[in-house]
Amino acid sequence: MTAIERPLPRPELETEELLVNMGPQHPSTHGVLRLVIRTDGEMVRETWPHIGYLHRCFEKIAQEVTFPQVVPYTDRLDYLASMNNAHSYCMAVERLAGIKIPPRAEYLRVIFSELNRIASHLLAFGTYALDLGAFTPFLYGFRERELLLDIFEKVSGGRLLYHYPRIGGVARDITPEIAKDIEQFIRIFPQKWAEYNTLLSYNKIFIERTANVGVILPQTAIRYGLTGPCLRGSGVAYDIRKAHPYSVYDKVDFQIAVGQGEKGTVGDCWDRYWVRMVEMMESLKIVDQCLKGLPEGPVQAKVARVLRLPDGEAYTRAENPRGELGFYIVSDKKRTNAVRCRVRAPSFCNLSVTHEVAKDCLVADVVAIVGSIDIVLGEVDR
Amino acid sequence: MSDFFQHFGQTVAFIAITAVVIGSALAATFAKSIVHASFALFFTLLGMAGYYFLLGADFLGITQVIIYVGGILVLLLFGVLLTSRSLDQLQIRSRASYIAASAVGLAVLAMLWKAIIRGPWQHVTPVVPQQTTQSLGRLLLTDYLLAFEFSSVTLLAALIGAAYIVRRREK
Amino acid sequence: MQEFVHFLQHDVLARISPPLGALPDQIVLLGAILVGAAPIVAFMAVIAMAWTYGERRIAGFIQARYGPNRVGPEGVLQPLADGIKLLAKEDIAPAGADRPLYELAPLLVFVGALLPFVALPFSEKWVISSMAAGVFYVLAFEAIEVIGIIMAGWAPNSKWSLYGGMRLAAQMVAYEIPMGLCLLTVVALAGTLNLGQICQMQGGAFGVGNWMVWPWVSPFATLAFFMFFVGGLAATKRAPFDLPEAESELVAGFHTEYSGIRFAFFFMAEYAAMYVVCAVATVCFLGGWHGPFREWLAPAAGAPTISDLLGKAVQVKTADGAWFVWANLWGALSVLGKWAFWKPMLYELLGAFYLIAKSFFLLFVMVWMRWTLPRIRIDQVIYMCLKVLLPFSLLCVLGAAAQTVFTDWNLLHWLLSAGK
Repeated sequence: MTAIERPLPRPELETEELLVNMGPQHPSTHGVLRLVIRTDGEMVRETWPHIGYLHRCFEKIAQEVTFPQVVPYTDRLDYLASMNNAHSYCMAVERLAGIKIPPRAEYLRVIFSELNRIASHLLAFGTYALDLGAFTPFLYGFRERELLLDIFEKVSGGRLLYHYPRIGGVARDITPEIAKDIEQFIRIFPQKWAEYNTLLSYNKIFIERTANVGVILPQTAIRYGLTGPCLRGSGVAYDIRKAHPYSVYDKVDFQIAVGQGEKGTVGDCWDRYWVRMVEMMESLKIVDQCLKGLPEGPVQAKVARVLRLPDGEAYTRAENPRGELGFYIVSDKKRTNAVRCRVRAPSFCNLSVTHEVAKDCLVADVVAIVGSIDIVLGEVDR
Repeated sequence: MSDFFQHFGQTVAFIAITAVVIGSALAATFAKSIVHASFALFFTLLGMAGYYFLLGADFLGITQVIIYVGGILVLLLFGVLLTSRSLDQLQIRSRASYIAASAVGLAVLAMLWKAIIRGPWQHVTPVVPQQTTQSLGRLLLTDYLLAFEFSSVTLLAALIGAAYIVRRREK
Repeated sequence: MQEFVHFLQHDVLARISPPLGALPDQIVLLGAILVGAAPIVAFMAVIAMAWTYGERRIAGFIQARYGPNRVGPEGVLQPLADGIKLLAKEDIAPAGADRPLYELAPLLVFVGALLPFVALPFSEKWVISSMAAGVFYVLAFEAIEVIGIIMAGWAPNSKWSLYGGMRLAAQMVAYEIPMGLCLLTVVALAGTLNLGQICQMQGGAFGVGNWMVWPWVSPFATLAFFMFFVGGLAATKRAPFDLPEAESELVAGFHTEYSGIRFAFFFMAEYAAMYVVCAVATVCFLGGWHGPFREWLAPAAGAPTISDLLGKAVQVKTADGAWFVWANLWGALSVLGKWAFWKPMLYELLGAFYLIAKSFFLLFVMVWMRWTLPRIRIDQVIYMCLKVLLPFSLLCVLGAAAQTVFTDWNLLHWLLSAGK
């Protein structure tokens, strides 16, 4: 052995492993989430998300108040996708009660669910850019989101929480002015979308930060019960609107976006981000088709004033911007409220994959990963 | 009178710089925490650069700042701050070490004093060459070329050695 | 500067009272330095304040919103309001913080950012000290800022502060190397370390033709300019290289423990450092004070300088008391009416205008990049420094050296004159 090959006897430099605590309050807030990260120097060894800071006893409340009274509470689950949440809950109650809602109401529900999807994805896009240090896309995204929020305000009175889909239909009809606003939005959005791509999606630095980072393999995704853009970003072409169509989704023509590893590996952060971007354009198509094909008629079915559901249970699922939102309702004909109302929240399952994926990366990558999973603590904690 | 004024500026500067150097050196020696000592060393090194400027060696003074302050002191600080076990570094000094250190220091001072007194000092009015950089460059590449190349090879060897020592072992 | 000292000594002090004129050079120099330093510090403070406003306004426009536009016309007095607010804040230090170092750190950073201004020229004759080793000097005093940052990371006695500061210092030190090498490219081409002489060489066709940054002058300098600018962005910890600040935002940044005026010092030092980088880039690559239409105002060889004119105007009739000081003032003001005074003055002013305008343009690009680009991850930052910028800047130095040996610093001139 030459002098170089023989290892020098020296004490190993000990490196401490640190437990870093991110949150529950941080500047780029996804909500009140606490991430405990075990780091070895620069590398992250393990990440544990700690949740429960926003628990508001939704499921218990649902057992106390009547069925129509639960609808505003569902708004507050995933507070960025209020229309979608109420849509899903109302479907569950209507299935148990056997209520058939008028076609105009179905179309309106779909229109506003899809507009809310665009609004939610715009916020996800903006805050993801903010997490990664790009300050401008956030403001550009919110500029378009304001247009949507104005539409929502005109139709429901609220900017973020709408209480618009009701059991039996929707709260009120749209006026021609609102329809014109929606058409205006459909007209201007595509060029803004192109702007976002120029600014962020194809930016080399953004790609360096997100491609090949936080790769979720398809099997992992399925095992952890991921749904929504997280699942589709890993290459699994599963969208509830196509697989188990509800409402009028079988009557409209749209594609589902699937991650293809364009910039790196299939299932990396860029793919999940890109799925959301493409979904925005697809939702726009859906809204366009629904608006053009909007049938005349009432927007509310006849529902009993005091609604009692027969004995039984139902589970309905809807494709929320974040994944599959499922409501499992157990009802008893003697009660005006549910025996049990269980929420299958998409962000809850999506967040659980963080432990598996956010390891052996850098701390900055953890931020990128959690941002790409796009959680809302409202539905994680309920 | 004008003679006094002529040297006045230089003297004032010299006294000021010496005060900084000696003061910070004393602070570095007697500081209770290593961190304070390192930062006191910063002022000592800056003072040395000041001496070079006073003597008209502008290039050398700037080099002193870049190499000593910007390189060696930064390295020292990284080493001290990143490997400290706890955030406060208290030096426990025993009486014995004070006495020993003072004795050695006085001995060195006596030797230096003898050398300074005996040395053949000449009063030379310094002629400040305007092109110190060019003169230095020319000398380094002609008369002292071997030393220059040798030191650069040594630095390269040190760089490679350091990279080798801290490389991550494949476990 | 020497001229200014001479002017002060012989034309002002000697004429006010003869014994004053006999003051030794050093004292007058000291006086001149103090008189000259004040505008520089003021300039630095104004630049820092102006760019806090500028950055926020430009950021606002980029983000489709107004920036601050309430305080003063179009919000230009916003920095004043910010300054008052910061001065009035409570001086909080974290418990267990190293008090002397805590107070010293912002000062070191500020001084480290201020010192390079001594060697920076503002126009042909307007420079505090036209140092023979100007370029080297500017690079050296970044080192003081680094020590200040390390001190600032250590002083609050917080682990996260410390790691944030260390990472920042490491980034700054790492990027000094490619920056220095890119400047070395220019030095190799110009043959001098003096910023004034480097800039002087870049006059030429219409004031624009001979800038180092043009590929026909030296393609290596063109590449070096872009690398210097990127290195400057990283060395001043600007986005997209501000991950140490932001990531530790989630934990604790090195300057979150500083409030009030101490924070203001860090902030101002950042803008001053940005200005220094941009000004050095302007002087070395973009022709500094050269620009179109300036040659028309160039003073002829024997023309009286501004100091000459002012000196003549401040003439004392007899060496007697205050009354003649007032007469001097009137005499001094009378010079303002003469074109002979304004021609060289405008020459210098126009040069200063070009230099500052170019520097401000580069500063604008820095601000623009901050608000457009996401942050680069720390390992990618270091990768870029060591594996991209360093080899290419070495290549540039090699190329520039080869160019100087075999051809001339200005390729186009060499080609055109080689034909003759």
